[in-house]
Amino acid sequence: MAEPLLSVKDLCVRFPTERGVVQAVNGVSFDLEQGATLGIVGESGSGKSVTAKTLMNLLPRSAEVDGSVVFDGRDVRALAKSHENHFWGVQMTMVFQDPMTSLNPVKRCGEQIAETLRYHLGHKKKQAIAEAVELLGQVGVPEPAKRVRQYPHELSGGLRQRVVIAMALACQPRLLIADEPTTAVDVTVQKLLLDLLDDLRRDRGMSMILITHDLGVARGRCDEVAVMYAGRIVERAGTETLFTDSRHPYTDALLRSIPRIDQPSHTRLDPIPGRPPDMTGLLPRCAYAPRCRYAQADCLTAIPELGGIVGLHSFACFHPANTERGEAALTANLDAGETAAGLRIHPIVEGAH
Amino acid sequence: MAGTGLAPLRDRPDVLLRVEELTVEFPVGRHEVVHAVSGISFDVAEGETLGIVGESGCGKSTVARSIIRLNEIRGGKVVFEGTDLVKLKGEALRRQRPNLQMIFQDPISSLNPRRKVRDVISEGVRVWGGGKGAWSQGRIDELMHAVGVDPRFGDRRPHQFSGGQCQRIGIARALAMDPKVLICDEPVSALDVSVQAQVLNLLEDMKKRYGLTLLFISHDLAVVKNVSDRIIVMYLGKACEIGSADELYEHPHHPYTRALLASIPEPAPTVDVSEGEISGELPSPINPPKGCRFNTRCPHADGICLEVEPQMEAVGEDHFIACHHPVAVSISV
Repeated sequence: MAEPLLSVKDLCVRFPTERGVVQAVNGVSFDLEQGATLGIVGESGSGKSVTAKTLMNLLPRSAEVDGSVVFDGRDVRALAKSHENHFWGVQMTMVFQDPMTSLNPVKRCGEQIAETLRYHLGHKKKQAIAEAVELLGQVGVPEPAKRVRQYPHELSGGLRQRVVIAMALACQPRLLIADEPTTAVDVTVQKLLLDLLDDLRRDRGMSMILITHDLGVARGRCDEVAVMYAGRIVERAGTETLFTDSRHPYTDALLRSIPRIDQPSHTRLDPIPGRPPDMTGLLPRCAYAPRCRYAQADCLTAIPELGGIVGLHSFACFHPANTERGEAALTANLDAGETAAGLRIHPIVEGAH
Repeated sequence: MAGTGLAPLRDRPDVLLRVEELTVEFPVGRHEVVHAVSGISFDVAEGETLGIVGESGCGKSTVARSIIRLNEIRGGKVVFEGTDLVKLKGEALRRQRPNLQMIFQDPISSLNPRRKVRDVISEGVRVWGGGKGAWSQGRIDELMHAVGVDPRFGDRRPHQFSGGQCQRIGIARALAMDPKVLICDEPVSALDVSVQAQVLNLLEDMKKRYGLTLLFISHDLAVVKNVSDRIIVMYLGKACEIGSADELYEHPHHPYTRALLASIPEPAPTVDVSEGEISGELPSPINPPKGCRFNTRCPHADGICLEVEPQMEAVGEDHFIACHHPVAVSISV
């Protein structure tokens, strides 16, 4: 097998704060092949955005980072130390959630795209603007020649995000990190933007990391999906496998808790009890154990490592759902009426309110 | 996409809230107005949940805010239990306020950060001065317990709670007034998925326990379907389609409803994904298109759509749409 384009190993990120050290990312490892799309899903605070910012070298100086990030044979963290300026924005670029705050409000859209080209590729101003028009056309902005002279506030949310995508694509990156790129736009616009990203990725053979909290978005657009919880990847699999044959109880519970359009109205939802752990005081146990229906004594004394078949379907759980071991744990917990972590559980009743 | 016309109004004795031809306009600049809501009519029966869906700028929040008179109303009626709220003033309006309560999108910013949550919950009743014993420590504890916040934390302030808990406190505050109608404006949009389900279940439980009628506004089609009995789809200040939740999702007739259902990441099986490719941008509400307001983006638009505003018409039992060229066929699943 060829070398992966991006290889992240044991990434840990901590932020010292007044309240204690926030353990935002706790040993994240993954590989990404050339041309593939990896989805990272998780709730707020799960560490998905911090992971992306670490890759992009955008963390505040106070952050303590451990682990290695290798991109096409180059050590990305060493590049950061050597003040390499033409890596981020050229090889690896990022699209953020809110297009209004990622654009400069007092600069014309064309200039902002041209700026990237002039700085990284040394284009002359005229040439850079001409290329900006071309790029806007490629990302589906109507009347690109007019739009380059407009300011961000003159554009709709969908168009602004297209401008941001054009900026990210300007230097022909090999990896695009999209952090919740469609969270701030409406569904009809979301579809068009995701279609656009799909097409661009395919045409250019670009790799993509798509970070989202929307499981539906991940399902439709990614080759593989990694689920994060409390700063760790708890499950990673091919998209269809993950959605139809999940192993980690968190993934399973997450899929059950969202309302589905194909269920009749007033279907009782199955929420995940409790809430995510405090990231300043993570204990040496499975972080999900206090909310987990499957939790056993061993979940409270050790942290499960990401196991299973790495590269195909891996998960970090001692008692995985939809397996014999997991079902035995669940049955035992149901019989006892509570889990080893003291969570009271009842059988799930399917049906209406 | 007109949606004028009173066809969707039902002649039933248990109709609690009836909105007729509601029009809301906001002045901007010189002699210009934003046509936020233009002649929308619907009703809500007692104990029913009415969902309002649509994209940002379609006027769904304005409808909600108008019902409780949070903004000026240009025309139309809001009839609650036989009284037109639009005509009420001063004390008479104040008397009606407890009956209609609202919960908001951002749970944290809608609570006063300087006050203890116990006081946040009881403030309305205290200000309103309900009957003796209407508010007491016991009642607040009961409410906090009902929404799933430990009453022992009553002396904490909002920042000490998570977003989901703040939304629960917001719900308790609304329930403290003993309302008949609870208006929920995107109540779960700011919450994580796992917490979203908790709050949606809580709303259903509270509805049952306190006999509430719900108006539920959201841009999330799956969420709206889950909670609603009846749904209105709005576009640019007008209603496109009104129907019972299951019927509307199974047999969407309006091209815009179909486009919405085709655009969501896991599209409804009743529509073709290609229908989600609606072109163009949302027109400006300052100068909305003549005729059907959806005509600039509709794949079926022709001459008549540019000139004549379609009226609400029945296409099935309790199912109304405003369109000159309804999509008749639904792919059966």
